[in-house]
Amino acid sequence: MRSITLGHYLPGNSLLHKLDPRVKLLSLLILIVALFLVKTFLGFLLFAAFMLIIFASSRLPWRYFLRGLRPILYIVLFTLILHFLFTEGGQVYWRWGPITIEEAGVYLGAFMTLRLVLLVITTLLVTLTTSPIAFADGIEFLLRPFRRLGIPGHEIAMMMTIALRFIPTLIEESDKIRKAQMARGADFETGNILRRARNLVPLLVPLFVSAFRRADELAVAMEARCYRGGENRTKLRELHTRPLDYFGIITVTGLVLAIVLTGV
Amino acid sequence: MLIETRNLTHIYMPGTPFQVEALKGINLGIERGEFVGIIGETGSGKSTLVQHFNGLLRPNSGEVLLEGRNIWAGEINLRQIRSRVALLFQFPEHQLFEETVFKDVAFGPRNLGLDGEELEGRVRYGLELMGLDYQAYKDRSPFNLSGGEKRRVAMAGILAMKPEVVILDEPSAGMDPSGRRHLLEQIETLHREENLTVVLVTHNMDEVSRLAKRLFVFSGGQLVLQGSPAEVFNSTAIIKEIGLDLPPLTALLQKLKESGQNIRTDLFSLEEAGKEILQHYQGG
Repeated sequence: MRSITLGHYLPGNSLLHKLDPRVKLLSLLILIVALFLVKTFLGFLLFAAFMLIIFASSRLPWRYFLRGLRPILYIVLFTLILHFLFTEGGQVYWRWGPITIEEAGVYLGAFMTLRLVLLVITTLLVTLTTSPIAFADGIEFLLRPFRRLGIPGHEIAMMMTIALRFIPTLIEESDKIRKAQMARGADFETGNILRRARNLVPLLVPLFVSAFRRADELAVAMEARCYRGGENRTKLRELHTRPLDYFGIITVTGLVLAIVLTGV
Repeated sequence: MLIETRNLTHIYMPGTPFQVEALKGINLGIERGEFVGIIGETGSGKSTLVQHFNGLLRPNSGEVLLEGRNIWAGEINLRQIRSRVALLFQFPEHQLFEETVFKDVAFGPRNLGLDGEELEGRVRYGLELMGLDYQAYKDRSPFNLSGGEKRRVAMAGILAMKPEVVILDEPSAGMDPSGRRHLLEQIETLHREENLTVVLVTHNMDEVSRLAKRLFVFSGGQLVLQGSPAEVFNSTAIIKEIGLDLPPLTALLQKLKESGQNIRTDLFSLEEAGKEILQHYQGG
Protein backbone atom coordinates (compact mmCIF):
# COMPACT_ATOMS: atom_id res chain seq x y z
CA MET A 1 0.00 0.00 0.00
CA ARG A 2 2.89 2.30 0.75
CA SER A 3 4.68 1.88 -2.57
CA ILE A 4 2.64 3.54 -5.27
CA THR A 5 5.32 3.54 -7.95
CA LEU A 6 3.14 3.72 -11.02
CA GLY A 7 4.01 7.07 -12.52
CA HIS A 8 5.38 8.40 -9.27
CA TYR A 9 7.39 11.60 -9.83
CA LEU A 10 11.13 11.21 -9.37
CA PRO A 11 12.82 14.58 -8.76
CA GLY A 12 15.80 15.25 -10.99
CA ASN A 13 17.72 17.82 -12.92
CA SER A 14 17.78 16.46 -16.47
CA LEU A 15 16.75 18.24 -19.67
CA LEU A 16 13.44 16.41 -19.58
CA HIS A 17 12.81 17.49 -15.99
CA LYS A 18 13.47 21.09 -16.92
CA LEU A 19 11.18 21.10 -19.92
CA ASP A 20 8.09 23.28 -19.57
CA PRO A 21 5.19 21.09 -18.34
CA ARG A 22 2.93 22.56 -21.04
CA VAL A 23 5.37 21.44 -23.70
CA LYS A 24 5.60 18.00 -22.15
CA LEU A 25 1.83 17.58 -21.99
CA LEU A 26 1.31 18.86 -25.51
CA SER A 27 4.09 16.62 -26.80
CA LEU A 28 2.55 13.68 -25.00
CA LEU A 29 -0.75 14.39 -26.71
CA ILE A 30 0.89 14.67 -30.14
CA LEU A 31 2.94 11.52 -29.60
CA ILE A 32 -0.12 9.53 -28.57
CA VAL A 33 -1.90 10.61 -31.74
CA ALA A 34 1.21 9.66 -33.71
CA LEU A 35 1.23 6.21 -32.17
CA PHE A 36 -2.19 5.59 -33.60
CA LEU A 37 -1.12 6.82 -37.02
CA VAL A 38 1.85 4.47 -37.27
CA LYS A 39 1.08 1.69 -39.77
CA THR A 40 4.25 -0.39 -39.94
CA PHE A 41 6.79 -2.01 -37.65
CA LEU A 42 9.41 0.30 -39.12
CA GLY A 43 7.38 3.21 -37.79
CA PHE A 44 7.36 1.69 -34.30
CA LEU A 45 11.10 1.12 -34.55
CA LEU A 46 11.70 4.79 -35.34
CA PHE A 47 9.33 5.82 -32.59
CA ALA A 48 11.07 3.54 -30.10
CA ALA A 49 14.45 4.93 -31.11
CA PHE A 50 13.16 8.45 -30.48
CA MET A 51 11.85 7.38 -27.05
CA LEU A 52 15.19 5.79 -26.24
CA ILE A 53 16.95 9.09 -26.90
CA ILE A 54 14.46 10.89 -24.68
CA PHE A 55 14.81 8.25 -21.98
CA ALA A 56 18.59 8.66 -22.06
CA SER A 57 18.20 12.42 -21.72
CA SER A 58 15.88 11.96 -18.73
CA ARG A 59 18.59 10.15 -16.74
CA LEU A 60 15.96 8.08 -14.96
CA PRO A 61 17.22 4.86 -13.35
CA TRP A 62 16.09 2.14 -15.80
CA ARG A 63 15.23 -0.29 -13.03
CA TYR A 64 12.77 2.15 -11.51
CA PHE A 65 11.41 2.89 -14.96
CA LEU A 66 10.83 -0.77 -15.79
CA ARG A 67 9.04 -1.24 -12.49
CA GLY A 68 6.56 1.36 -13.67
CA LEU A 69 5.80 -0.88 -16.65
CA ARG A 70 5.01 -3.92 -14.54
CA PRO A 71 1.33 -3.13 -13.90
CA ILE A 72 0.52 -3.37 -17.64
CA LEU A 73 2.16 -6.76 -17.99
CA TYR A 74 -1.16 -8.58 -17.65
CA ILE A 75 -2.96 -6.32 -20.08
CA VAL A 76 -0.18 -6.94 -22.60
CA LEU A 77 -0.38 -10.71 -22.13
CA PHE A 78 -4.16 -10.59 -22.40
CA THR A 79 -3.98 -8.62 -25.66
CA LEU A 80 -1.43 -11.01 -27.11
CA ILE A 81 -3.40 -14.12 -26.23
CA LEU A 82 -6.68 -12.72 -27.50
CA HIS A 83 -5.16 -11.81 -30.85
CA PHE A 84 -3.27 -15.08 -31.16
CA LEU A 85 -6.40 -17.09 -30.57
CA PHE A 86 -9.14 -15.15 -32.25
CA THR A 87 -7.72 -13.18 -35.17
CA GLU A 88 -7.86 -15.31 -38.26
CA GLY A 89 -6.19 -15.13 -41.64
CA GLY A 90 -3.00 -16.08 -43.41
CA GLN A 91 -0.80 -19.06 -42.75
CA VAL A 92 -1.66 -21.40 -39.85
CA TYR A 93 1.37 -21.74 -37.53
CA TRP A 94 -0.02 -24.05 -34.92
CA ARG A 95 -3.16 -26.11 -34.44
CA TRP A 96 -4.58 -27.98 -31.49
CA GLY A 97 -8.16 -29.13 -31.90
CA PRO A 98 -10.32 -26.07 -32.58
CA ILE A 99 -7.57 -23.70 -31.42
CA THR A 100 -5.33 -22.24 -34.10
CA ILE A 101 -2.66 -19.59 -34.19
CA GLU A 102 -2.57 -17.85 -37.52
CA GLU A 103 -0.33 -15.34 -39.25
CA ALA A 104 -2.68 -12.38 -38.96
CA GLY A 105 -3.15 -13.03 -35.24
CA VAL A 106 0.57 -13.02 -34.54
CA TYR A 107 1.05 -9.92 -36.64
CA LEU A 108 -1.81 -7.98 -35.09
CA GLY A 109 -1.00 -9.18 -31.57
CA ALA A 110 2.58 -8.00 -31.83
CA PHE A 111 1.43 -4.74 -33.39
CA MET A 112 -1.09 -3.96 -30.66
CA THR A 113 1.30 -4.96 -27.90
CA LEU A 114 4.01 -2.69 -29.24
CA ARG A 115 1.56 0.17 -29.48
CA LEU A 116 0.41 -0.39 -25.91
CA VAL A 117 3.93 -0.63 -24.49
CA LEU A 118 5.10 2.48 -26.34
CA LEU A 119 2.01 4.33 -25.14
CA VAL A 120 2.81 3.56 -21.54
CA ILE A 121 6.51 4.31 -21.97
CA THR A 122 5.71 7.72 -23.44
CA THR A 123 3.29 8.54 -20.65
CA LEU A 124 5.67 7.32 -17.95
CA LEU A 125 8.45 9.53 -19.31
CA VAL A 126 6.22 12.52 -18.70
CA THR A 127 4.74 11.56 -15.33
CA LEU A 128 8.07 10.44 -13.87
CA THR A 129 9.79 13.70 -14.73
CA THR A 130 7.01 16.20 -13.99
CA SER A 131 6.12 17.20 -10.44
CA PRO A 132 2.38 16.95 -9.71
CA ILE A 133 2.17 20.71 -9.25
CA ALA A 134 3.84 21.46 -12.58
CA PHE A 135 1.58 18.87 -14.13
CA ALA A 136 -1.52 20.60 -12.78
CA ASP A 137 -0.21 23.98 -13.96
CA GLY A 138 0.28 22.54 -17.42
CA ILE A 139 -3.21 21.07 -17.49
CA GLU A 140 -4.69 24.33 -16.36
CA PHE A 141 -2.98 26.17 -19.21
CA LEU A 142 -3.97 23.63 -21.83
CA LEU A 143 -7.59 23.69 -20.67
CA ARG A 144 -7.74 27.46 -20.98
CA PRO A 145 -9.17 27.52 -24.53
CA PHE A 146 -12.06 25.34 -23.36
CA ARG A 147 -13.23 27.80 -20.78
CA ARG A 148 -15.74 29.22 -23.23
CA LEU A 149 -17.30 25.78 -23.35
CA GLY A 150 -17.73 25.92 -19.59
CA ILE A 151 -14.79 23.70 -18.63
CA PRO A 152 -13.27 25.13 -15.43
CA GLY A 153 -9.57 24.50 -16.08
CA HIS A 154 -8.29 26.18 -12.96
CA GLU A 155 -10.69 24.31 -10.70
CA ILE A 156 -9.84 20.98 -12.28
CA ALA A 157 -6.13 21.65 -11.81
CA MET A 158 -6.71 22.70 -8.21
CA MET A 159 -8.69 19.55 -7.49
CA MET A 160 -5.91 17.43 -8.97
CA THR A 161 -3.28 19.16 -6.87
CA ILE A 162 -5.27 18.75 -3.67
CA ALA A 163 -6.08 15.11 -4.36
CA LEU A 164 -2.43 14.29 -4.99
CA ARG A 165 -1.36 16.25 -1.96
CA PHE A 166 -3.61 14.20 0.33
CA ILE A 167 -2.69 10.71 -0.84
CA PRO A 168 0.29 10.34 1.52
CA THR A 169 -1.67 11.95 4.37
CA LEU A 170 -4.52 9.48 4.01
CA ILE A 171 -2.15 6.52 3.78
CA GLU A 172 -0.51 7.61 7.01
CA GLU A 173 -3.88 8.18 8.63
CA SER A 174 -5.23 4.77 7.64
CA ASP A 175 -2.08 3.17 9.02
CA LYS A 176 -2.61 4.91 12.34
CA ILE A 177 -6.29 3.97 12.61
CA ARG A 178 -5.53 0.39 11.61
CA LYS A 179 -3.03 0.15 14.46
CA ALA A 180 -5.39 1.80 16.92
CA GLN A 181 -8.11 -0.74 16.12
CA MET A 182 -5.64 -3.62 16.20
CA ALA A 183 -4.72 -2.46 19.69
CA ARG A 184 -8.41 -2.98 20.53
CA GLY A 185 -8.24 -6.52 19.21
CA ALA A 186 -9.49 -5.88 15.67
CA ASP A 187 -8.48 -8.50 13.16
CA PHE A 188 -7.75 -7.42 9.58
CA GLU A 189 -5.81 -10.44 8.45
CA THR A 190 -7.87 -13.60 8.79
CA GLY A 191 -11.27 -14.89 7.70
CA ASN A 192 -12.99 -15.12 4.32
CA ILE A 193 -13.62 -12.18 2.02
CA LEU A 194 -17.02 -11.32 3.49
CA ARG A 195 -15.70 -11.38 7.02
CA ARG A 196 -12.69 -9.32 6.09
CA ALA A 197 -14.86 -6.74 4.36
CA ARG A 198 -17.01 -6.43 7.47
CA ASN A 199 -13.91 -6.14 9.62
CA LEU A 200 -12.86 -3.12 7.59
CA VAL A 201 -15.73 -1.01 8.96
CA PRO A 202 -13.77 0.11 12.05
CA LEU A 203 -11.05 1.30 9.68
CA LEU A 204 -13.16 2.90 6.97
CA VAL A 205 -15.60 4.88 9.12
CA PRO A 206 -12.91 6.83 10.99
CA LEU A 207 -10.96 7.26 7.75
CA PHE A 208 -13.95 8.85 6.00
CA VAL A 209 -14.74 10.98 9.02
CA SER A 210 -11.20 12.28 9.08
CA ALA A 211 -11.08 12.83 5.31
CA PHE A 212 -14.24 14.94 5.55
CA ARG A 213 -12.84 16.82 8.53
CA ARG A 214 -9.65 17.57 6.63
CA ALA A 215 -11.56 18.68 3.57
CA ASP A 216 -13.67 20.96 5.71
CA GLU A 217 -10.63 22.45 7.45
CA LEU A 218 -8.91 22.99 4.12
CA ALA A 219 -11.99 24.70 2.70
CA VAL A 220 -12.18 27.03 5.70
CA ALA A 221 -8.46 27.79 5.45
CA MET A 222 -8.78 28.61 1.74
CA GLU A 223 -11.86 30.72 2.38
CA ALA A 224 -10.06 32.58 5.16
CA ARG A 225 -7.39 33.52 2.62
CA CYS A 226 -10.10 34.75 0.26
CA TYR A 227 -9.40 32.02 -2.28
CA ARG A 228 -11.50 32.31 -5.38
CA GLY A 229 -10.79 30.11 -8.35
CA GLY A 230 -10.47 31.00 -11.98
CA GLU A 231 -10.44 34.50 -13.39
CA ASN A 232 -7.27 36.58 -13.26
CA ARG A 233 -5.30 34.78 -10.61
CA THR A 234 -1.57 35.31 -10.76
CA LYS A 235 0.75 32.41 -10.11
CA LEU A 236 3.52 31.75 -7.64
CA ARG A 237 5.44 29.91 -10.33
CA GLU A 238 5.02 31.57 -13.72
CA LEU A 239 5.64 29.19 -16.59
CA HIS A 240 8.23 30.42 -19.06
CA THR A 241 8.99 28.85 -22.40
CA ARG A 242 12.68 28.76 -23.30
CA PRO A 243 14.55 27.81 -26.49
CA LEU A 244 14.77 24.22 -25.27
CA ASP A 245 10.98 24.07 -25.10
CA TYR A 246 10.56 25.32 -28.68
CA PHE A 247 13.15 22.81 -29.79
CA GLY A 248 11.20 20.06 -28.04
CA ILE A 249 7.83 20.86 -29.52
CA ILE A 250 9.28 21.36 -33.03
CA THR A 251 11.08 18.00 -32.88
CA VAL A 252 7.95 16.19 -31.76
CA THR A 253 5.78 17.85 -34.41
CA GLY A 254 8.43 17.09 -37.03
CA LEU A 255 8.43 13.44 -36.06
CA VAL A 256 4.69 13.18 -36.35
CA LEU A 257 4.64 14.94 -39.70
CA ALA A 258 7.31 12.55 -40.90
CA ILE A 259 5.21 9.59 -39.83
CA VAL A 260 2.10 10.91 -41.55
CA LEU A 261 3.84 11.98 -44.76
CA THR A 262 5.99 8.88 -45.27
CA GLY A 263 3.17 6.59 -44.20
CA VAL A 264 5.40 4.26 -42.17
CA MET B 1 9.83 -7.75 35.07
CA LEU B 2 6.52 -7.25 33.25
CA ILE B 3 7.77 -5.70 30.01
CA GLU B 4 11.34 -5.91 28.91
CA THR B 5 13.22 -5.09 25.72
CA ARG B 6 16.59 -6.55 24.81
CA ASN B 7 18.71 -4.87 22.20
CA LEU B 8 15.56 -3.72 20.43
CA THR B 9 16.27 -2.19 17.02
CA HIS B 10 13.70 -0.93 14.57
CA ILE B 11 14.34 0.27 11.04
CA TYR B 12 11.63 1.89 8.92
CA MET B 13 11.60 0.95 5.21
CA PRO B 14 14.83 -1.04 5.27
CA GLY B 15 16.65 -1.48 1.99
CA THR B 16 15.18 1.65 0.36
CA PRO B 17 16.65 5.14 0.00
CA PHE B 18 14.15 6.20 2.68
CA GLN B 19 15.60 3.90 5.36
CA VAL B 20 15.50 5.31 8.92
CA GLU B 21 16.88 3.65 12.02
CA ALA B 22 14.25 4.67 14.56
CA LEU B 23 15.47 2.62 17.54
CA LYS B 24 19.04 1.57 18.16
CA GLY B 25 19.58 -1.30 20.57
CA ILE B 26 17.20 -0.40 23.39
CA ASN B 27 17.40 -2.25 26.72
CA LEU B 28 14.84 -1.39 29.36
CA GLY B 29 12.44 -2.97 31.81
CA ILE B 30 9.13 -2.01 33.38
CA GLU B 31 7.89 -3.66 36.60
CA ARG B 32 4.28 -4.58 37.33
CA GLY B 33 2.39 -1.74 38.97
CA GLU B 34 4.90 0.90 37.98
CA PHE B 35 4.08 4.34 36.59
CA VAL B 36 6.79 5.21 34.11
CA GLY B 37 7.22 8.14 31.78
CA ILE B 38 8.85 8.20 28.38
CA ILE B 39 10.07 11.56 27.19
CA GLY B 40 12.04 12.84 24.23
CA GLU B 41 11.79 15.18 21.30
CA THR B 42 9.51 14.54 18.33
CA GLY B 43 11.12 11.82 16.23
CA SER B 44 13.23 10.47 19.08
CA GLY B 45 11.64 7.01 18.78
CA LYS B 46 9.18 7.12 21.71
CA SER B 47 6.10 6.19 19.72
CA THR B 48 7.97 3.54 17.76
CA LEU B 49 9.14 2.02 21.04
CA VAL B 50 5.73 1.74 22.67
CA GLN B 51 4.24 0.16 19.55
CA HIS B 52 6.63 -2.73 20.18
CA PHE B 53 5.25 -3.30 23.68
CA ASN B 54 2.01 -4.81 22.34
CA GLY B 55 3.31 -6.24 19.08
CA LEU B 56 1.99 -3.60 16.68
CA LEU B 57 5.49 -3.31 15.30
CA ARG B 58 7.95 -6.13 14.93
CA PRO B 59 11.56 -5.47 15.86
CA ASN B 60 14.16 -5.80 13.09
CA SER B 61 16.46 -7.26 15.70
CA GLY B 62 16.34 -7.78 19.44
CA GLU B 63 13.50 -9.01 21.62
CA VAL B 64 10.40 -7.78 23.39
CA LEU B 65 9.46 -9.81 26.46
CA LEU B 66 6.18 -9.92 28.34
CA GLU B 67 6.63 -11.61 31.71
CA GLY B 68 9.91 -13.05 30.46
CA ARG B 69 8.49 -14.53 27.27
CA ASN B 70 9.51 -13.27 23.86
CA ILE B 71 6.26 -12.15 22.23
CA TRP B 72 7.53 -12.99 18.74
CA ALA B 73 8.83 -16.48 19.55
CA GLY B 74 6.98 -19.76 19.36
CA GLU B 75 3.22 -19.72 19.55
CA ILE B 76 2.37 -16.07 18.92
CA ASN B 77 -0.96 -14.79 20.14
CA LEU B 78 -0.85 -11.10 19.46
CA ARG B 79 -4.51 -10.53 20.25
CA GLN B 80 -4.02 -11.93 23.70
CA ILE B 81 -0.96 -9.74 24.17
CA ARG B 82 -2.87 -6.68 23.01
CA SER B 83 -5.65 -7.36 25.47
CA ARG B 84 -3.08 -7.36 28.27
CA VAL B 85 -1.04 -4.40 27.03
CA ALA B 86 -3.38 -1.67 25.83
CA LEU B 87 -2.14 1.22 23.76
CA LEU B 88 -3.96 4.49 23.38
CA PHE B 89 -2.71 6.56 20.47
CA GLN B 90 -2.50 10.30 20.23
CA PHE B 91 -5.93 11.81 19.51
CA PRO B 92 -7.71 8.54 20.27
CA GLU B 93 -11.07 10.13 19.47
CA HIS B 94 -10.18 9.59 15.79
CA GLN B 95 -10.65 5.85 16.22
CA LEU B 96 -14.35 6.06 17.17
CA PHE B 97 -16.58 4.49 14.55
CA GLU B 98 -19.75 2.96 15.99
CA GLU B 99 -23.29 4.33 16.08
CA THR B 100 -23.49 4.46 19.86
CA VAL B 101 -21.08 4.96 22.70
CA PHE B 102 -22.04 1.54 24.03
CA LYS B 103 -21.13 -0.25 20.80
CA ASP B 104 -17.86 1.61 20.47
CA VAL B 105 -16.70 0.89 24.00
CA ALA B 106 -17.84 -2.71 23.56
CA PHE B 107 -15.66 -3.19 20.45
CA GLY B 108 -12.53 -4.16 22.38
CA PRO B 109 -14.17 -6.48 24.95
CA ARG B 110 -16.26 -8.09 22.20
CA ASN B 111 -13.04 -8.87 20.32
CA LEU B 112 -11.94 -10.66 23.49
CA GLY B 113 -14.97 -12.90 23.08
CA LEU B 114 -17.17 -11.33 25.76
CA ASP B 115 -20.93 -11.16 25.37
CA GLY B 116 -24.21 -10.44 27.14
CA GLU B 117 -24.15 -9.28 30.70
CA GLU B 118 -20.42 -9.58 31.04
CA LEU B 119 -19.98 -7.27 28.06
CA GLU B 120 -22.43 -4.77 29.48
CA GLY B 121 -20.59 -4.86 32.78
CA ARG B 122 -17.31 -4.10 31.04
CA VAL B 123 -18.76 -1.15 29.15
CA ARG B 124 -20.23 0.24 32.36
CA TYR B 125 -16.90 -0.30 34.11
CA GLY B 126 -14.95 1.51 31.37
CA LEU B 127 -17.31 4.46 31.12
CA GLU B 128 -17.56 4.94 34.86
CA LEU B 129 -13.80 4.80 35.29
CA MET B 130 -13.61 7.74 32.89
CA GLY B 131 -16.30 9.58 34.83
CA LEU B 132 -19.04 9.15 32.22
CA ASP B 133 -22.50 8.17 33.38
CA TYR B 134 -23.44 4.84 31.79
CA GLN B 135 -27.17 5.51 31.37
CA ALA B 136 -26.69 9.02 30.05
CA TYR B 137 -24.05 8.17 27.48
CA LYS B 138 -24.59 4.62 26.28
CA ASP B 139 -27.09 5.40 23.53
CA ARG B 140 -25.58 8.63 22.27
CA SER B 141 -23.61 8.83 19.04
CA PRO B 142 -19.90 9.21 19.73
CA PHE B 143 -19.74 11.75 16.90
CA ASN B 144 -22.03 14.19 18.71
CA LEU B 145 -19.93 14.44 21.84
CA SER B 146 -17.54 17.23 22.76
CA GLY B 147 -13.82 16.73 22.13
CA GLY B 148 -13.08 15.92 25.75
CA GLU B 149 -15.98 13.46 26.01
CA LYS B 150 -14.91 11.73 22.80
CA ARG B 151 -11.45 11.22 24.18
CA ARG B 152 -12.83 9.78 27.40
CA VAL B 153 -15.07 7.41 25.46
CA ALA B 154 -12.03 6.26 23.47
CA MET B 155 -10.13 5.68 26.71
CA ALA B 156 -13.10 3.85 28.20
CA GLY B 157 -12.97 1.55 25.18
CA ILE B 158 -9.41 0.61 26.10
CA LEU B 159 -10.03 0.28 29.84
CA ALA B 160 -13.10 -1.92 29.27
CA MET B 161 -10.66 -4.57 28.07
CA LYS B 162 -9.21 -4.60 31.62
CA PRO B 163 -5.60 -4.53 30.51
CA GLU B 164 -2.67 -5.01 32.87
CA VAL B 165 -0.68 -2.27 31.23
CA VAL B 166 -1.94 0.94 29.68
CA ILE B 167 0.33 2.87 27.35
CA LEU B 168 -0.80 6.43 26.78
CA ASP B 169 0.70 8.40 23.90
CA GLU B 170 0.23 12.10 24.63
CA PRO B 171 -3.14 11.55 26.31
CA SER B 172 -3.73 15.21 27.08
CA ALA B 173 -2.59 16.76 23.79
CA GLY B 174 -4.96 19.45 22.59
CA MET B 175 -7.07 19.55 25.76
CA ASP B 176 -7.81 22.54 27.94
CA PRO B 177 -6.11 22.75 31.36
CA SER B 178 -9.09 21.55 33.41
CA GLY B 179 -9.82 18.64 31.06
CA ARG B 180 -6.15 17.78 31.15
CA ARG B 181 -6.02 17.81 34.94
CA HIS B 182 -9.18 15.76 35.18
CA LEU B 183 -7.91 13.13 32.77
CA LEU B 184 -4.58 12.77 34.52
CA GLU B 185 -6.24 12.51 37.92
CA GLN B 186 -8.33 9.65 36.60
CA ILE B 187 -5.27 7.88 35.28
CA GLU B 188 -3.49 8.37 38.57
CA THR B 189 -6.47 6.98 40.51
CA LEU B 190 -6.59 3.94 38.24
CA HIS B 191 -2.93 3.35 38.78
CA ARG B 192 -3.30 3.57 42.55
CA GLU B 193 -6.53 1.67 43.03
CA GLU B 194 -6.37 -0.99 40.33
CA ASN B 195 -2.60 -1.42 40.48
CA LEU B 196 -2.55 -0.66 36.76
CA THR B 197 0.85 -0.39 35.13
CA VAL B 198 0.99 2.91 33.26
CA VAL B 199 3.40 4.04 30.57
CA LEU B 200 2.99 7.73 29.81
CA VAL B 201 4.55 9.11 26.63
CA THR B 202 4.56 12.87 26.66
CA HIS B 203 6.11 16.23 25.88
CA ASN B 204 4.72 17.77 29.02
CA MET B 205 7.56 17.69 31.56
CA ASP B 206 5.41 19.14 34.30
CA GLU B 207 2.84 16.33 34.07
CA VAL B 208 5.32 13.54 33.81
CA SER B 209 7.54 14.77 36.64
CA ARG B 210 4.61 14.75 39.03
CA LEU B 211 3.06 11.46 37.96
CA ALA B 212 5.81 9.05 36.95
CA LYS B 213 8.10 7.35 39.41
CA ARG B 214 10.64 6.51 36.76
CA LEU B 215 11.53 8.19 33.49
CA PHE B 216 13.13 7.00 30.28
CA VAL B 217 14.65 9.74 28.16
CA PHE B 218 15.04 9.18 24.42
CA SER B 219 17.03 11.04 21.82
CA GLY B 220 17.79 10.02 18.25
CA GLY B 221 16.52 6.48 18.77
CA GLN B 222 18.64 5.88 21.84
CA LEU B 223 17.86 5.62 25.54
CA VAL B 224 20.09 8.39 26.88
CA LEU B 225 18.93 8.65 30.48
CA GLN B 226 16.77 6.80 32.97
CA GLY B 227 15.93 7.17 36.64
CA SER B 228 13.59 8.95 39.00
CA PRO B 229 12.32 12.39 37.97
CA ALA B 230 14.74 13.92 40.45
CA GLU B 231 17.71 12.08 38.94
CA VAL B 232 16.67 12.83 35.39
CA PHE B 233 15.88 16.51 35.78
CA ASN B 234 18.95 17.20 37.84
CA SER B 235 21.02 16.00 34.87
CA THR B 236 20.23 19.42 33.49
CA ALA B 237 23.07 19.47 30.96
CA ILE B 238 21.90 16.33 29.16
CA ILE B 239 18.24 17.39 29.20
CA LYS B 240 19.13 20.74 27.63
CA GLU B 241 21.51 19.17 25.13
CA ILE B 242 18.86 16.87 23.64
CA GLY B 243 16.43 19.76 23.31
CA LEU B 244 14.04 19.11 26.21
CA ASP B 245 12.85 21.54 28.86
CA LEU B 246 12.84 21.22 32.62
CA PRO B 247 9.51 21.22 34.42
CA PRO B 248 8.84 24.88 35.33
CA LEU B 249 8.99 24.08 39.03
CA THR B 250 12.37 22.37 38.74
CA ALA B 251 13.67 25.28 36.70
CA LEU B 252 12.61 27.67 39.47
CA LEU B 253 14.16 25.60 42.26
CA GLN B 254 17.38 25.26 40.29
CA LYS B 255 17.53 29.02 39.70
CA LEU B 256 17.15 29.60 43.44
CA LYS B 257 19.88 27.11 44.14
CA GLU B 258 22.18 28.72 41.58
CA SER B 259 21.70 32.07 43.27
CA GLY B 260 23.30 30.59 46.35
CA GLN B 261 20.27 29.35 48.29
CA ASN B 262 20.60 25.95 49.91
CA ILE B 263 17.36 24.55 48.58
CA ARG B 264 16.15 21.10 47.46
CA THR B 265 15.65 20.70 43.72
CA ASP B 266 14.01 17.26 43.75
CA LEU B 267 10.45 18.33 44.51
CA PHE B 268 7.77 18.11 41.84
CA SER B 269 4.45 18.97 43.41
CA LEU B 270 3.42 22.56 43.88
CA GLU B 271 2.61 22.03 47.56
CA GLU B 272 5.96 20.48 48.46
CA ALA B 273 7.97 23.02 46.53
CA GLY B 274 5.96 25.87 48.03
CA LYS B 275 6.56 24.57 51.53
CA GLU B 276 10.27 24.19 50.87
CA ILE B 277 10.62 27.74 49.61
CA LEU B 278 8.58 29.21 52.46
CA GLN B 279 10.48 27.21 55.04
CA HIS B 280 13.77 28.25 53.56
CA TYR B 281 13.03 31.95 53.50
CA GLN B 282 11.13 32.16 56.78
CA GLY B 283 13.42 29.79 58.63
CA GLY B 284 16.69 31.14 57.23
